[in-house]
Order: sequence, then structure tokens, then C-alpha cells
Amino acid sequence: MATNGTVKVELRVRRYNPERDEKPYWGSFEMEAEPEDRVLDLLHHVQWYLDGTLAMRRSCAHGVCGSDAMRINGQNMLACKALVKNLVRGGKGRIQVEPIYGMRVIKDLIVDMEPFMEHYRSVMPYFVNDEPAPENGRERLQSPEDRERFDEATKCILCAACTTSCPSYWANGTYVGPAAIVQAHRFIFDSRDKAGKDRLAILSQENGVWRCRTIFNCTTACPREIPVTQLIAEVKGAM
Amino acid sequence: MTTLIGTIRESLRYKGREGQIAWMGHRLAGLGTLLFFVIHVVDTSWVFFAPELYSEAIALYKSPLFLLGEVGLMAAVIFHAINGLRIAVMDWRPQLWKYQRQISVATFAIIAILFVPAFIIMAGHIIEILSSGAGGVAGL
Repeated sequence: MATNGTVKVELRVRRYNPERDEKPYWGSFEMEAEPEDRVLDLLHHVQWYLDGTLAMRRSCAHGVCGSDAMRINGQNMLACKALVKNLVRGGKGRIQVEPIYGMRVIKDLIVDMEPFMEHYRSVMPYFVNDEPAPENGRERLQSPEDRERFDEATKCILCAACTTSCPSYWANGTYVGPAAIVQAHRFIFDSRDKAGKDRLAILSQENGVWRCRTIFNCTTACPREIPVTQLIAEVKGAM
Repeated sequence: MTTLIGTIRESLRYKGREGQIAWMGHRLAGLGTLLFFVIHVVDTSWVFFAPELYSEAIALYKSPLFLLGEVGLMAAVIFHAINGLRIAVMDWRPQLWKYQRQISVATFAIIAILFVPAFIIMAGHIIEILSSGAGGVAGL
């Protein structure tokens, strides 16, 4: 670490502008950073002071919206939750940032999320219950135990870090992917929902849960610490 | 939009942990075993279709390269079988995911433990064949 407590970082960013570049290339930026800085701060520094053409997504910048998922030093994570001190050992080092793999790159770190959202929509990620509401006009009650059953799945922020860390998804983009299965889990195990069988029928198809190879990359990549592989296995078990 | 080459490249580039390493090993071991199985079916069929080729094939199996390949085959079969059991257990008992790292390490250890006696027996067999002068048919 430098004398003032800062760290010298070489930030390598995978750049690609389909309108101009024939193929992607690595851009390199050198800067000083605080150990507690996030990779998002470094990307902001590039965008605001070094090269305004760098394209990326971010919204809340606090790990809630899930828009800045990217591959950082070889692993999928949110740029707003990745701290320099966890990526660089000693006073200097390199941080490598590239777009999540398996989806078309629109520009630099921005990928086309539409196929991902299409998989999400395919599992009916909404509450289904056509039975009449309780007579007292209040909500459909649920025990704390029943609520707990799908609690982990409610934490998903649809960042796609899990789906794009999955080799099965890399090999076959028609696989619904971990995120869509987590979203299905949220409703399949909801005691108030009535469309569990329909969702299981969708997920038992060729590109459903059985493409999961229990690799665990999704579980490690999830920024919300959802035990994704466990939830997928629970859906497999419900078939 | 992804390709087989892209998947292989990214599987090598992505820093997955034990699960990814085990998956890659599982695929390699499975494909290796399948390759041997196909070759073996073909050469056995020569007993009927081309007996003289069959004799040559059997002699070829006693060359150092193929004897070494047999050791690799044994490693592949043991790995594929034991790691397959691990995957089945993880799918059967999802709550074990918390211990998946330890289970993976234990699986690798069991594979190694099973492979050592197999290797010793096979190595003895190889030395016996080579010292009897039956090897070297392929000129290796």
C-alpha cells in the first residue's frame, strides 16, 4: 500500500463497441484507490475523468437494483459490492472487469438482458390464485413457517450474476437458468399460490431444471447469498 | 449465441471453485470412458468381420501408450462413478449445500484412495507385460 493508505490499481476493462470495433479488446487504466473503494467507484473514475466513452449499467449503486453485475477478476459479482481490498493484495495490483458471459454485448460492459428476462417471464413469476378472497376482505393469511419456506427465493434481484456464471447456460442459452428457477421456487413453495403444477410442468421440459449440473457457480456468484443450487435441487425434488 | 468453443474457453477462464473443477473432470472422464467404450466395441466387432485386425488391436493394447491409457481409463471410471454419487447426493439432499466444499474435498480424497491400489495393481501388471517383451508392438 502507498504511504497515504491508497492502493495502485491497474484497471483492465473489456471494451467493445460493435459500431466501431471488429472485436473486443482490453482497455487499461491506472489509478490510485482507497482499499474500501468499490470497483464501481473505479469505473466511475474512468467514466468521469479518464474516458467518458466507457459504457456500463448502474442505478442504485448499493447492491439492491442488481444492474451492475459483471465478471470481476474471473468471478461474477456486483461492481457496487466488490471492494478493492478484497481484490488487490498488497499496495498494488490488477483488477480485470468484463461483461457477464452468455449474452450479447451491446457496448463495453452492457449486455442485452432480454433473453434473460424472457426466461424469467417463462416461469410465470407472479401470484396465481383465482379462488375468492377471504370473506373478511383481508389478505390470504400464511403461517410464519409457510412464509419461511420460500424466504430465500424472495431475495433475488435479477442481476443475472448466477445465470451467466453457469456453464450449462453458456453451452445452451435456451436453458432457463438459475435465476428463473429461483423465481419459480418463490411461487411453487408459496402455500397461497395455486399454479405450482404449471410451473413444474414448464421446468420439467428439455430446457428446465434438468440442465442444472449442480456445479455451484450460481451459489458463489449470488450477491444476495441465496443458496441457488439448493433451491434448484428443491424444485427438482418437487417434480 | 454461445458456442462449444466459447463454453470450453469460459470454463477455463471463469474462476469457479470445487464444483466447477469437478464438473469439468466429470465431463472429461465421461467422454474419455465413452471414447474407450466405442473403440472397444469396434475392435471386438473385428473378431467377426476382420479377425487378423482384431489380433493386431489386442497386440496394440499391450503397447506402453495403451497400457498407460488403461491406467487413465481406470482413473476416469473411478472419478466419474464417485463424483456422480456426490452429485446425486447433493441433488437428493439440497440442504447439504452448506457443506459442498467439504463434500467435494472428501470426494476427491475417496477417488484418490480408491485409485492408489488400482494403480499399484495395474503398474505391476504393466511392468510384467513390458519385462516379458510382449510390449512395443506400436513401436513406442
